[in-house]
Amino acid sequence: MFDFFIHAVSVAAIYALVAVSLNIQAGYAGLLNLGHIAFVGVGAYAVGIAHHLQWHPGLGWAMGIAAAAVLGFFMSRLGRNLGADYWGIATLAVAEIVRTIALNEDWLTGGAQGISGVTPLWSSLDAGSARWAFLATVLLVLALAMGLSSRLGAGRFGRALRLLREEPALATSMGYDLVALKSKATVASAMLAAVAGAFLGHYISYVGPDFMLASETFLIWTMLMIGGLGHVGGVVLGAFLVQAIYASMPFAKDWLGIGSDVAGAVRLGLIGCLLLACLLWRKDGLVPETLRKL
Amino acid sequence: MAALLDVQDLSKAFGGNQVLQGVSLQVRPGEIVGLLGPNGSGKSTLLNVASGFAPADGGRVLLQEQDITRLPAHRIVRHGMARTFQLPSMPSRMSVLEVTLAADTRHHGVWSTLLRPGALRQAEAQALTRAHQLLDELLLTPVKQNAASALSGGQKKLLSIACALMGDPRLLMLDEPTAGVHPNLRRDIVQTLKRLRQQGISQLIVEHDMHFVREVCTRCVVLDRGQIVADCRPDELASHPQVIEAYLGRQAAAAAQAPTAKAA
Amino acid sequence: MFQFVLDVLIRTADLALVAVGLSAVYALVKFPNVSHVQYAALGAFLTLAGQRLGLPFALAMALSCVVTGAVAVLLNTLVFRRLLRSGPAIAMIGSLAVSMVMVALMLGVAGSRPLRYDFEIVSPLVIAGARVSHAQAYSIGAALLVLGGFAWLLYRTPMGRRMRALATNRALAEATGIDAHQVTNLISLISGALAAIGGTMLAMTSDVHVNLGTDLLLPVFAAAIIGGLGNPLGAAAGALLIAVAETAVTNLNFGWLVGQPLAFLPVTYIGAASFLFLLVALLFKPYGLFDREVRRV
Repeated sequence: MFDFFIHAVSVAAIYALVAVSLNIQAGYAGLLNLGHIAFVGVGAYAVGIAHHLQWHPGLGWAMGIAAAAVLGFFMSRLGRNLGADYWGIATLAVAEIVRTIALNEDWLTGGAQGISGVTPLWSSLDAGSARWAFLATVLLVLALAMGLSSRLGAGRFGRALRLLREEPALATSMGYDLVALKSKATVASAMLAAVAGAFLGHYISYVGPDFMLASETFLIWTMLMIGGLGHVGGVVLGAFLVQAIYASMPFAKDWLGIGSDVAGAVRLGLIGCLLLACLLWRKDGLVPETLRKL
Repeated sequence: MAALLDVQDLSKAFGGNQVLQGVSLQVRPGEIVGLLGPNGSGKSTLLNVASGFAPADGGRVLLQEQDITRLPAHRIVRHGMARTFQLPSMPSRMSVLEVTLAADTRHHGVWSTLLRPGALRQAEAQALTRAHQLLDELLLTPVKQNAASALSGGQKKLLSIACALMGDPRLLMLDEPTAGVHPNLRRDIVQTLKRLRQQGISQLIVEHDMHFVREVCTRCVVLDRGQIVADCRPDELASHPQVIEAYLGRQAAAAAQAPTAKAA
Repeated sequence: MFQFVLDVLIRTADLALVAVGLSAVYALVKFPNVSHVQYAALGAFLTLAGQRLGLPFALAMALSCVVTGAVAVLLNTLVFRRLLRSGPAIAMIGSLAVSMVMVALMLGVAGSRPLRYDFEIVSPLVIAGARVSHAQAYSIGAALLVLGGFAWLLYRTPMGRRMRALATNRALAEATGIDAHQVTNLISLISGALAAIGGTMLAMTSDVHVNLGTDLLLPVFAAAIIGGLGNPLGAAAGALLIAVAETAVTNLNFGWLVGQPLAFLPVTYIGAASFLFLLVALLFKPYGLFDREVRRV
């Protein structure tokens, strides 16, 4: 039971990291990226491919972060004046293309089977200690990411992004290069997401194209909307809340005696309803963004 | 003396509508040039094209003898030109002070924040001092901490002037700075613009208000249907035949030419 | 060759009805409704339910249209109108949430295994050397009929005129007395019904499964965007283009490119073709191929 708890928290922490990364795009810059999961997938696959080619895992991490940065840059430059909702659909298309490539190019990605047997972190320790060590590592990185993200948000970068989001013409008249700003936000966000993806790959010891299903991005968005777009603490809270619902499903399933299809449906439906409720009644999330006193 | 802003033969069309037809004008250092004309004459378009917010179809724009015609708007700002908008829209989740601070665009990148916190802190401190000073001069101190969108129309215009000044421009282009503004506030704007001129900031102001123009402008340029019809001193405007024709039509102009014409 | 044309027509029929409905509603609500494709899935499931309850197929489909249309109207009134007050981006995320709930409902009630309609096994027709099943033939026929009917509604009836007026200039249209809510609800109803027909037709030629809607998402959006969101008949043209792209991509022999007698792209790249098309469309012509409006900078 306790092992399960550690497992749940570890997974939640990884997803929280993804949520913090998306928050930089969505919360600070107001970018409606619906293909964010592609960055996570790239980070995970880089680690898997490095393992497959028997390279040093560090190389995999570096490759993943770099590749995600390039993909993020590409996404941000899609269409100079595309409206927010259109751009969202474009990012969805890009993520699907990435997933389709991962699904097909067996020689690189293992196709539908994916890559398994990725060496876990801390493999030199025994199983029990390794679990604790992993959890500690992820939580440490999460705390670091939260700190950095808060600093970015409270500082000049965050201020420029907020202005970009609300009054782009005003921002331009002050001298801000809007496209460059969007790129900076997207690239930073992508790199952090790749780190989360690398953690995921090591943790599950497996990497597959299902990581990059569109439904995964929607899950992250739910975490953001529940927790409060823009507020770092809020999105982490949202991540842990959603993960709690997910983790408790197997128990509910046994307790209520329902089939796995129904359990999956209940989980999905609950998340959807939660997201809808947040949008209808509390657009700013549980922990809203307030006016800053200077 | 070389012109600060040199607009040469500028043309711009929207769809089939030729809004600007070969317009040329200059703003020399120390001038406050009023840009007048009836609705639809192309005043705002001229401002938009000169500041990079709309692409020109033909002609050139030179700022301090540098060709800025093809530059994007945000780059033109770095060359010493600042502009305000006719209907200033302000963010609702940022305070007046924060918006003013945002106008100082130094060190706003990711790397600066993470790797050069010292330089950033210094820039921020300088900006804070300057922002307080500007807001004070523009009488916005009482509303410093309020949400920027909660300001009145006139106050928003003052705020946009404050933001424009944060970048230390040589040329300030204002789009109808007193339209819809309370008379008291209007007086303050007039004083501010005169003071700015003494501090060496030249101005190009699109305006309708004749009283304002006479108080503030050193020279007036009148546009009608995309072409310049007059370039004269403010006191010469009322009797200028092309100006009267532009605003009131040919018959009125003819009547004004008669010996018993009265000053407006 | 004729097989190619037939394949294109079948795929067009699958996409067109859903895309046209999406485009028509967008003209009025001005946000991309991601849950629209789920109406197709819902329609397919409801037709199946009707058939399992003993109704003849046509009646089951008709009822499914009515119910799906009603669901579309309800969602528009209760959910999307409220969300739109916060802007199109929020409404879009909301439609994402609605999709999740709809998929969850279908998954919970019907399970994850693909199901099929109950038809007699008949040997396929052979036209000009190409094989087409009866279901596919009905599908193409129905699509043409329904599209024709919708075009008639749009361009030959007062209601259609009102809809076009609202789409072009909302404020002006409302000032002339057009009830925006009523028209929007009616168009929602019709587009829901269209999606239900489209989904049922698609399921007729393959099967009814929970991912039917999600699989349609990007191709349908590609078709609607290429045709110009808000231009319903353009969406039909867009569907044709997407169908051509998808069919060509997997039927063309790329052997000459790689120096082999036979080299085809894997079937799973069909999706990538329409996504790529979508990206190109968004990059170069975000307002669609048929865009004639002059937009002021």
